[in-house]
Amino acid sequence: MEDQRVLDLVKQLVLRLLSPNRNDLDIDKALKYAIRILGSRMTPSISIDEAAMAESIKRHLVNQGKSSDALTFADLYTKFSSKSGPGSIHNKWAVLYLLKVISEDRRKEKRSDSRVPSAFLSSTISGGLPVLFEDDRSTRNQKPPDKGWSGGVLLVSKDPDNLRDIAFREFADLLKEESDVSESALVRDVLYACQGINGKYVKLDKSIDAYVLPDSIKVPRATRIMVRKLCELGWLFRKVKGYISESMDRFPSEDVGTVGQAFCAALQDELAEYYKLLAVLEAQSMNPIPMVSETASTGNYLSLRRLSVWFAEPMVKMRLMAVLVDSCRVLRGGAMAGAIHMHAQHGDPLVQDFMRRLLRRVCSPLFEMVRSWVLEGELDDIFAEFFVLGQTVKAESLWQEGYRLHAGMLPSFISQSLAQRILRTGKSINFLRVCCEDQGWADAATEAAAVVGTTTRRGGLGYGETDALESLVVEAAKRIDKHLMEVMFKRYKFKEHCLAIKRYLLLGQGDFVQYLMDIVGPELSEPANTISSFKLAGLLESAIRASNAQYDHDKLDRLRVKMMPHGTGDRGWDVFSLEYDARVPLNTVFTESVMARYLRIFNFLWKFRRVEHALIGAWKTMKPNCISSHFFLKQEGSVKLQFTSALRRCQALWDEMNHFVTNLQYYIMFEVLEVSWSNFSNEMEAAKDLDDLLAAHEKYLRSIVEKSLLGECSQTLSKTLFVLFDLILRFRCHADRLYEGIHELQARTMDSSLSSRTRSKSKPKSINESSGYGTWVGGGRKALTQRAEEFLRNMREDLETIAKEYSSLLEGFIAQLPVQQHVDLKFLLFRLDFTEFYSRQCLST
Amino acid sequence: MPREIITLQVGQCGNQIGMEFWKQLCLEHGISKDGILEDFATQGGDRKDVFFYQADDQHYIPRALLMDLEPRVINGIQNSEYRNLYNHENIFVSDHGGGAGNNWASGYHQGEQVQEEIMDMVDREADGSDSLEGFVLCHSIAGGTGSGMGSYLLETLNDRYSKKLIQTYSVFPNQMETSDVVVQPYNSLLTLKRLTLNADCVVVLDNTALNRIAVERLHLSNPTFAQTNSLVSTVMSASTTTLRYPGYMNNDLVGLLASLIPTPRCHFLMTGYTPLTVERQANVIRKTTVLDVMRRLLQSKNIMVSSYARTKEASQAKYISILNIIQGEVDPTQVHESLQRIRERKLVNFIEWGPASIQVALSRKSPYVQTSHRVSGLMLASHTSIRHLFSKCLNQYEKFRKKQAFLDNYRKFPMFADNDLSEFDESQEVIESLVDEYKACESPDYIKWGMEDRDRALTGEGNVSGTGIPN
Repeated sequence: MEDQRVLDLVKQLVLRLLSPNRNDLDIDKALKYAIRILGSRMTPSISIDEAAMAESIKRHLVNQGKSSDALTFADLYTKFSSKSGPGSIHNKWAVLYLLKVISEDRRKEKRSDSRVPSAFLSSTISGGLPVLFEDDRSTRNQKPPDKGWSGGVLLVSKDPDNLRDIAFREFADLLKEESDVSESALVRDVLYACQGINGKYVKLDKSIDAYVLPDSIKVPRATRIMVRKLCELGWLFRKVKGYISESMDRFPSEDVGTVGQAFCAALQDELAEYYKLLAVLEAQSMNPIPMVSETASTGNYLSLRRLSVWFAEPMVKMRLMAVLVDSCRVLRGGAMAGAIHMHAQHGDPLVQDFMRRLLRRVCSPLFEMVRSWVLEGELDDIFAEFFVLGQTVKAESLWQEGYRLHAGMLPSFISQSLAQRILRTGKSINFLRVCCEDQGWADAATEAAAVVGTTTRRGGLGYGETDALESLVVEAAKRIDKHLMEVMFKRYKFKEHCLAIKRYLLLGQGDFVQYLMDIVGPELSEPANTISSFKLAGLLESAIRASNAQYDHDKLDRLRVKMMPHGTGDRGWDVFSLEYDARVPLNTVFTESVMARYLRIFNFLWKFRRVEHALIGAWKTMKPNCISSHFFLKQEGSVKLQFTSALRRCQALWDEMNHFVTNLQYYIMFEVLEVSWSNFSNEMEAAKDLDDLLAAHEKYLRSIVEKSLLGECSQTLSKTLFVLFDLILRFRCHADRLYEGIHELQARTMDSSLSSRTRSKSKPKSINESSGYGTWVGGGRKALTQRAEEFLRNMREDLETIAKEYSSLLEGFIAQLPVQQHVDLKFLLFRLDFTEFYSRQCLST
Repeated sequence: MPREIITLQVGQCGNQIGMEFWKQLCLEHGISKDGILEDFATQGGDRKDVFFYQADDQHYIPRALLMDLEPRVINGIQNSEYRNLYNHENIFVSDHGGGAGNNWASGYHQGEQVQEEIMDMVDREADGSDSLEGFVLCHSIAGGTGSGMGSYLLETLNDRYSKKLIQTYSVFPNQMETSDVVVQPYNSLLTLKRLTLNADCVVVLDNTALNRIAVERLHLSNPTFAQTNSLVSTVMSASTTTLRYPGYMNNDLVGLLASLIPTPRCHFLMTGYTPLTVERQANVIRKTTVLDVMRRLLQSKNIMVSSYARTKEASQAKYISILNIIQGEVDPTQVHESLQRIRERKLVNFIEWGPASIQVALSRKSPYVQTSHRVSGLMLASHTSIRHLFSKCLNQYEKFRKKQAFLDNYRKFPMFADNDLSEFDESQEVIESLVDEYKACESPDYIKWGMEDRDRALTGEGNVSGTGIPN
């Protein structure tokens, strides 16, 4: 009775809905259809989600170009879903689903006049609603009642008289005899195997590492091979699945890494697809395989052959996954992404697509790392997967050693130069943060992000957007480097400090150096180990206060006395040096090794200054108004001659030495210091980032070291130079002695002449014996003259010796200059031999 | 320790050029006419304490002593707008104010008489400095005060401060026009002796050349003293730039002079300056590169000493040393190129008996003085042709001496009393030997010069050994 009432209601509904001018046949058909719908049992394979269902309908409508319909639907749906309370429909999702299925059904019917397998299959897959068949020969009654399957299986002809049919049946029987197992059982087993489970017959053979049918089971050879082939999928699946579970098990404790995780997740998703397929297939496998005679029907069953068609695509994917699993097993992080990327270079669009999907997932943690590194300087990489490696170092070596590229972790789709850039940008941020204590970089980073259009939130970038990544990096690098340069130059006054170093360590501030020489000089003649650096520090302090350096306040407290390591026999001159305390962040440029080189240059220049100082000192003792040579001109001939020749010898030698020292000095000032400095300051202006700046400074320093003959290649030259220096210092002693002697002599002669003039009998006053040269005491005028002659002759001979030694040394030095390939010493040679004095001398000898 | 330098301005000329010099220094250091540092000049970098010291009220006072035997010029200074600059204790004007009457002997004698007072001033200044480097004397050699009193000062300073440098800026008289000082040859000769024996370095400022430069280079038809003096002050301030703006080299006077004067006797320097301008005169602005500047400096028309050499002798003349002080923005690489060019073109003739080269000092320019040219240069050089200037003095002296002209004026003073003219003879001898030494420098055998008779003497000594000292 209940049924009858339902039927009546349905009939009324159909009549109502169909237009009245329809004929009875139509009405009848529609009625039947409605009844069948009601009678069917739909088992949707999708989850119950009302909103998703509505969304999918809407999307469907939009896809078909019916956007107005879609809007209408959306409106209606809102009304429908907002209805609640008594009288409203509880099962809203079901209603939507029903409507959707019906509409899809109708569409298929329109599109295909024949029941093509695709329509059939899709209806199967989508959970099954019977097709609104045209004819009534549907054989639903033949369906096994125990199966909740409403998809009809069609049998065309059942003519028992058909001979062909009989023959087929016989063939089938024959087949059955040949094999122990039915095909459907095999299909089921294969499906099991494909999920990595041993079936009843098909089992994993460890010895050959494959799923096979044991030989004990009798099946046709073709079937055996086919089973084996199909089961490859199972083997692959096992492998992939095994990898995933292994990784997941390892995860928190061991370093699978975020990229590895992402990879597993992506694989998992792919497997989920695969599971879905298997579920469907499994359902289908319940349908009996029709007899060969029934091949005409396109039944919803599974045979091994059908399975091989089904498995074609999953097989490709699974193989790819297996290959990836193989190649990624030992890899992590960037290396893994790189390996996957290598496999993505494939012509097959299917493979490409698949890989791209996978890579997008896999790379997202990597790109996220890049993003936060480039924009925030955060090295968010607990599993060491990123291609930038950080290590904790002291602030001064943060830039040089704090971070480096890990070549192994660098995926091949990021070029080396880009990687360098990425490294530097993050490094710059960290440098700013740690060393410069600067906050301004954040603005620069935000600005960069704004320009590129990528927001600073997570997940903005993905695989394949290498261009976007690059432009982000470039923009960020540009801004952050600019900011860094600004901070270095403006806040930390890099250039000013370079200048200060040039002024104090490279002796550019003449008055300071002079004063320091004056007060420290005497101290430094002591053996190195007896010198107190505290005392020297005090002297340095007073040198600073006395010179113009005192106005350089912020630089001066950075200037320190530094004693270089000394050996036995070293004098203060050998070890004294000044040090400049660069402090963070400038000590990134002026590292200890750089400072050590500065110290060497300082020591060289300092020694050089000492020589110059000594020569100037010698000039002071022989300066024009010191000796009234006029007086000596009145002396007796031989003394006069001895006197003139000794003095002339001394002056000429002094002149030669002074010429050498002055010109070397000029060479060092113009050609070495000033030229290097002007190059350096040009490069400093042009420097875009800290690396440029470091390189420029390195070049500057190297050029100074090389050109000051302190480099490796000019050791013989610098040795000769130092011997020359020593000789000049020796000369100074002799010159001093000569002049001291002459003064003594002058005083004596004056005394004696005075006494002779005044005819005084009083003996000459006792002279200062301690001087050592005042040996020509008493003995009257004659003895005095003799002593004078002797002294002058000795001195002259000593000077001759020095002069000879000097000339040969200098000749050697000059001869070596043109052979110095590594450094341009033309200028020095040109300078030393400006009037071609030496080349002429060379020719004449 | 700033290595202070004390400036002594003696006589009319000395005080005039001295005043110009201080004006220029004040401008360059941004010191006002009252000695107060201008607001724009506070950032330092220059060294003011070489030439100035600070009074208790922080205003800068020149380390200068102003001396004259007649009050006219010094009164002028004291009534000028710079009157508050100088320390009034450092000004000496003779009590009677009669001057020296253009008589060297008078100046020398008066100097002797007031020596205590003057040396008190000098000592006070010297004590007021930490590490006195030396003295600079500004004077002329022709008049009475500058030459006579200057000479006396030179001798005294040499005696008293023998370790200190004594540099002079000596103005030589104009030879082209008849001087109002008729006894100028005597005065010059007597002063030259002191300059030869008692000074370490004499910067020769030849009024003849200064006038010539004013007329030819600056196109002034009748140059005034003020205009030639401004040339002098330019040279003086430029030659001290490396002392006042410390750099890598030549930071003290001794370092500056030592390489310029390898042979102690030949310590007379000529100067050249380019581009030359005179105050308030719009000059044609030329392109100034280092090479231009260095080349122009070697041209005799820019040199502030006139050469009286005949052409043959002129070609024999040689440079003993050259120092170019280049001021302004200079690319150091240009220096090398310029030197190369100069050598290629053989623009300089150097002595042959020793190595020599053009030394170049780069110096900063005062940021407070605006000039229309980028680079300017000063040459300090020791050149053998300067001997002709001395020869000329000698010639004139000899002419006068032969005639016994004007000698009475000198006999009035103790040095020449009792007709003792040995001072003249001695001076003549000194100058003659100076000229000879310069001449010898032109030959490649300078090292052996004066020893030609040595072999003879030595062998002679051998012969007469034991017989006593040959006389």
